[in-house]
Amino acid sequence: MADDLNGTYHYPFPEAPEELVKFGDGAIEGRPAGVPSSYDEGGSLRWTPEAISEVHALAQLGRYQVRGYNTFNKRFPTFDDLTFVPATMTRLPLEGYRESCDTTTILGGGRGLVEKPLELKIPIYIASMSFGALSANAKEALGHGASKVGTMTCTGEGGMLEEERAASNKLVYQMSPARYGLDLDHLRRADALEIVVGQGAKPGTGGLLLGMKVSPRVSQMRTLPEGVDQRSTVRHPDWLGADDLAIKVEELRIATNYQVPIFLKMGATRPRYDVAIAAKVGVDVVVVDGAEGGTGASPELLLNHTGIPTISAIRAAREALDECGMSGKVSLVAAGGIRSGVDVAKCLALGADAVMIGNAAMIALGCNSPRYLDDYKKLGTSPGACHHCHTGMCPVGVATQTPELTARMDVAAGAERVARYLTAMTMEVTALAKACGKSNVHNLDMEDLRALSFEASAFTGVKMAGIDRAYGW
Amino acid sequence: MSSRYVIEVGNRHIKDVNEEIQAAAKAHHSLLVRNTLSRHNLGIGLPKGVDVAFEGSVGYYCGGLNTGAIVTVEDDAGWGTGEGMDAGHITIGGYAGMSAGAAMRGGTIHVRGDAGPRIGVAMKGGNIIVEGKIGSQAGFMAHAGKIIALGGAGASCADALWQGEVWVAGEIESLGVDAVVKEPTAEQVAEVDAILEPLGLVDSARNWRRIVSGQRLWYFESRDANAWLMI
Repeated sequence: MADDLNGTYHYPFPEAPEELVKFGDGAIEGRPAGVPSSYDEGGSLRWTPEAISEVHALAQLGRYQVRGYNTFNKRFPTFDDLTFVPATMTRLPLEGYRESCDTTTILGGGRGLVEKPLELKIPIYIASMSFGALSANAKEALGHGASKVGTMTCTGEGGMLEEERAASNKLVYQMSPARYGLDLDHLRRADALEIVVGQGAKPGTGGLLLGMKVSPRVSQMRTLPEGVDQRSTVRHPDWLGADDLAIKVEELRIATNYQVPIFLKMGATRPRYDVAIAAKVGVDVVVVDGAEGGTGASPELLLNHTGIPTISAIRAAREALDECGMSGKVSLVAAGGIRSGVDVAKCLALGADAVMIGNAAMIALGCNSPRYLDDYKKLGTSPGACHHCHTGMCPVGVATQTPELTARMDVAAGAERVARYLTAMTMEVTALAKACGKSNVHNLDMEDLRALSFEASAFTGVKMAGIDRAYGW
Repeated sequence: MSSRYVIEVGNRHIKDVNEEIQAAAKAHHSLLVRNTLSRHNLGIGLPKGVDVAFEGSVGYYCGGLNTGAIVTVEDDAGWGTGEGMDAGHITIGGYAGMSAGAAMRGGTIHVRGDAGPRIGVAMKGGNIIVEGKIGSQAGFMAHAGKIIALGGAGASCADALWQGEVWVAGEIESLGVDAVVKEPTAEQVAEVDAILEPLGLVDSARNWRRIVSGQRLWYFESRDANAWLMI
């Protein structure tokens, strides 16, 4: 074949020298320029440079790696796989700049059991992040920022920080399995209690706070030796299954005199079953934290390879509540990887009553902002790529316990940025809601969304764009 | 006993029972709770300065989140007795179920019989005295405080402790992860005897095993912050 092809034509000029045919001018000897080499590029989907360096790391350290922030798994569907389909011929939009859209959000009143359901001005609040994981200044700034716009914060598992209690008009107090600092006084000073069963970033495991962040104050609040690597218990000390938990919920209601709602927070794993069980147990609010949720520190494998995406978890949770007749009685809060008002609106449309933001709120405080560049450089990272929450060497004073770094977190400035960010997010939610013809953000629903990928449609039941049918099994 | 304010439990809503206990505790020093039927959540968040006696047996979380009351349970108690308590004194006349004194921060729990698994789990302070045997995983991840067992201990005793201590006289089925038996000093024995003395339980013939953390689980790799820079 090759002989035939080459044998029938003769150039009307001398044949070019081989070195010129092969881009001989300036090429690397032995490899023509423009001919890619697998030695440069790799090409194995399995043994990527990242996979190889992971083996090298395990082989040298003899342990898994720990880091903060959130999942680096690139295969997760994102909120961007969904798009809104605003009002056109089948419905009327609202005037985006003139007509109003209600954002009031009530949590925990559905059962009619507690005296003081939470009334928030917006459907967004600040996620549970502990003092320990975050600096006291960061916690205080989050509290003031949330209070300014009529929403709330959550203590996280490190106990009640007085600065946060004072700053937050409404504060959810977490009862984690480790029960750091938990006492009756704190329970009664909270505006809601949250029983922690798990978190999206690392479901099935307890909290993790490395020794660099177990400062004198943190160690005192958690009754821990200073500087130890705190790996919290994952199972609650005094209940094991759902039947026990129902009794525990009753105890907490008695302890707080039936005043405040009780939340249950879980990592998203089997929400269709877990949420139904949580509703049956008797809590007022279920918080489902998707696998994109952040953390101060976690074995990296758990961040990247456990849990299910937030968009899929919300739908499963809502269907579970619908199926057992608890929608309206039990509120549903979604979390995990929410970055903007657009993401918030998608969560509400998928079925959440409210959302909470963790990483996003930290970023609003200044996480990964381009300042103190030398300190980022010392960590071997740069603004926009930093995930050093676990080391406590946070260049901007958000995720640290080192006094000099904490001082970089200006409470007043941070609070204002958080307030503005929450305001802007709420504007984004209402802009979308009004375009969809909704005068209340809680009226957004599945019909306002279309999926841009088979995966997103299959995970959520949202109809595929154009064809208007959900991907079915 | 006749001067005591008497509260009947029976099949009343447990919320109403607790409200009556709280209200009575403001006006009376001594309460007697009768007809308990092993109900759960009796005497939650009791205040300081009141003495509450429960006739018969109680269910889960009796005396939970106690802030200083003197509580007596005539017979047995279910799970989580005195969980999260800050102060006060709870006496169980019979046996205690799982997780008595879970996450307690202070005060004393005294069990006259045996106690179930995970007694004193995650406790942050206070003392637990068990005249009989303590169940498996006693003191799991106890942050502080003492568990004192006079009649032996089950498997995985003192598992994964922080700074809590488990003292055992009698057989120990097995020690938990990172648990280390240390010979107590005379001073330390005197401290324990001072806890036992008001209960009339001092016995100088006891062969104590004092179990503390081996501290191998306390550190992962964090002593050198720079070690984390490679991640």
